[in-house]
Amino acid sequence: MRMTLQRPPETVPARSRPSGRRRVLSHWPQYLAISPFFLIFAVFGLFPVLFSLYLAFHQWDGLGEMRYVGLQQFRFLLEDSTFWQSMGNTFIIWVISTVPMLFMALVIASLLNSTVRFTAFYRIAYFIPNVTSLVAMAIFFGAVFSTNFGLVNAVLHALGLPTGRWLTEPLGMKIAVASVMTWQWTGYNAIIYLAGLQTIPSELYEAAKVDGAGPVQIFFRITVPMLRPIILFTVVVSTVTGLQSFTEPQVLFGTNTTLNPNTGGPGQGALTMVLYFYHQAFDNRNFGYGAAIAWLVFVVIMLFVAINWRIVARRSS
Amino acid sequence: MELSRRRFIQLGMASAAMGGLAACSTSTSGGSGGANAMDFWYWTDGLSKNVVDDAVKRFTEVSLKPQQIGGNFKEKLVTTMASGGKFIPDITGIKGEDFASFTPQADRFQNLLDLGADKLADQYLEWKWKKGMTKDGKLIGLPIDIGPTALFYRRDMFQKAGLPTEPDQVATQMSTWDDYFAAGTQLKNAVPGAFMVSEAWAVFNIAVGQSKARYIDENEKFIGDQDHIRHAWDLAAKTIQLGIDAKSQANTPDWNAGLTSGNLSSLTGAAWVAVDIKSAASGTSGKWGVAKGPGGTANIGGSFLAITKECDKPDEAFKIVSWILSPENQAKGFTDSALFPSTPATYKMSALTGPDPFFDNQVTIDVLGKAAAEIPVQYESPHDQEVSAPYQTELTNMESNGKNAVDAWNDAVAEAKKVAQRVGVS
Repeated sequence: MRMTLQRPPETVPARSRPSGRRRVLSHWPQYLAISPFFLIFAVFGLFPVLFSLYLAFHQWDGLGEMRYVGLQQFRFLLEDSTFWQSMGNTFIIWVISTVPMLFMALVIASLLNSTVRFTAFYRIAYFIPNVTSLVAMAIFFGAVFSTNFGLVNAVLHALGLPTGRWLTEPLGMKIAVASVMTWQWTGYNAIIYLAGLQTIPSELYEAAKVDGAGPVQIFFRITVPMLRPIILFTVVVSTVTGLQSFTEPQVLFGTNTTLNPNTGGPGQGALTMVLYFYHQAFDNRNFGYGAAIAWLVFVVIMLFVAINWRIVARRSS
Repeated sequence: MELSRRRFIQLGMASAAMGGLAACSTSTSGGSGGANAMDFWYWTDGLSKNVVDDAVKRFTEVSLKPQQIGGNFKEKLVTTMASGGKFIPDITGIKGEDFASFTPQADRFQNLLDLGADKLADQYLEWKWKKGMTKDGKLIGLPIDIGPTALFYRRDMFQKAGLPTEPDQVATQMSTWDDYFAAGTQLKNAVPGAFMVSEAWAVFNIAVGQSKARYIDENEKFIGDQDHIRHAWDLAAKTIQLGIDAKSQANTPDWNAGLTSGNLSSLTGAAWVAVDIKSAASGTSGKWGVAKGPGGTANIGGSFLAITKECDKPDEAFKIVSWILSPENQAKGFTDSALFPSTPATYKMSALTGPDPFFDNQVTIDVLGKAAAEIPVQYESPHDQEVSAPYQTELTNMESNGKNAVDAWNDAVAEAKKVAQRVGVS
């Protein structure tokens, strides 16, 4: 209101239209410079998203005619016990990877924060798993968890504990997948926490020490509360990546059989939602059904984002 | 309506195909290499590379451009074919397990019978020839290799258990599945920790392959709840009950270890399993034998070459394909890439008739060649693999979680029916 009153009344409506268009034209080098992202996003991001929504209402094998089937794919999906199993698997894997991962990352970050020597070395060492090829890692973990000759069973045996069939039993398989994810992302989260730790003023720690607080008390009373926004960020990121886990189970359990590849190993114990989508779309060539799965996964993740958002909003208010 | 939809699809798939191609192919790909270029897709060890290289030199009327496509071959072929562009290969391999799923799109391929393939029919095994055909009698795939099944066993372990060790005797004593399982019990009692069967699925899959039908019949009706599948199921369940099942999936570290130590004393599998055994247990050379498998013979795997509709010179392409897959060149395929020939004439050639030191100098073609001729003709539906998945899952549930056999069967059939319904099989 006040803005319009201050401007000369005649010139505004007369000039604003052409000048807006001219402004776009006169800034064409800038628009051109940022256009690659939007063009690539439109082709490889936006279009596939919209196309998959279109596909979800059709039956299509990739080569033949597309057949409109309405909501039938979604109806099948709701009754598909394999999909619900994959969702359960995904949640279990997500919980048993994220909880220890974030806890260990926090501990590692506070240790890193207090080291004096070789700080750069330790930071790089913890970050390396994050930039290691996931496929190589999954193969390595496949050997580590092998029943007869794996490192895990060798250690358990040496300690006199019962050994497990990690790569064939449903829970063992989920633990194997979760370990790969934990190993890969702990260092990454630790570095993020470390950055957060360095913003906490040292006076708080000094005051706590003067008041006679021990290291455990300092950790839980000062470090954790001060890091809350950063912890929430890592929780959100881990939720999004954890619910979309795909490569780990695909490589750990994908190549065992040529007949039905990518079905998540024995008893489909490590079949995640995204892996099931991939299997239906690209192994079975049910592109319509695959698209329907992808959209249901989207809805599930949105639901989680909403829950996260509610928690964040409540805490900050 | 029809036109705009197709256009939409083409646009969509073109972007996907370009992404795929950029990742996997060199600049020589596509029909852009001149009017004479003939693109030829296959995968590593899908054909003998020497034979393919010879074909390039031999057929100079066109410039043949062979490419080994890595990764998920079917996925790349489907995406490229859906794009409808010039990137579609003129000649392409199709893997045996994927072949049936391409038959509904037979009009995207040349009917090889129109190109004179009928003259070659008697060179190839009849059942394999029929596998390359569609229901209405078009031939879209010329046979590359086959996977006749047999029993691979450790001679030393069989001796320890008091079982026969010579292939003929083994085949006679273990001609039925029940006899084979009885021998498995004898082995288990004689050598604690030794198993006769690698996994229940290996028995089930072969037993299904031995019958006259699979999960879906020619009228696209679900028959996975019928006796022939139930029989295969009961056999697989029995290996678990008897405790003769090592529960080791093929090509896992445990499978390799079992083959090396001998605790996995025998395997039923296709001819190409011999290659896996040799690499998994290289230290056991001379200790193995091959015998005719229990319950008859089945086929697992084995691929085809096809010529696409986009090929400008189908006659020339067919000349190349039929030369590459001639009996003489299939012998080279066996030597170079362990492809078991689909041409019986090859079985008499020196490349195959030599004794194999790994199998204690046994002439394995005597067993495998005979098996190849006995494989039943089965109708394989485009949805065969998908519908078989629940059986595989439930067998594993029985194997590793101790699920009750009756529940597992009921769940497998119910789930398979649901899948069949979803893909449009009644």
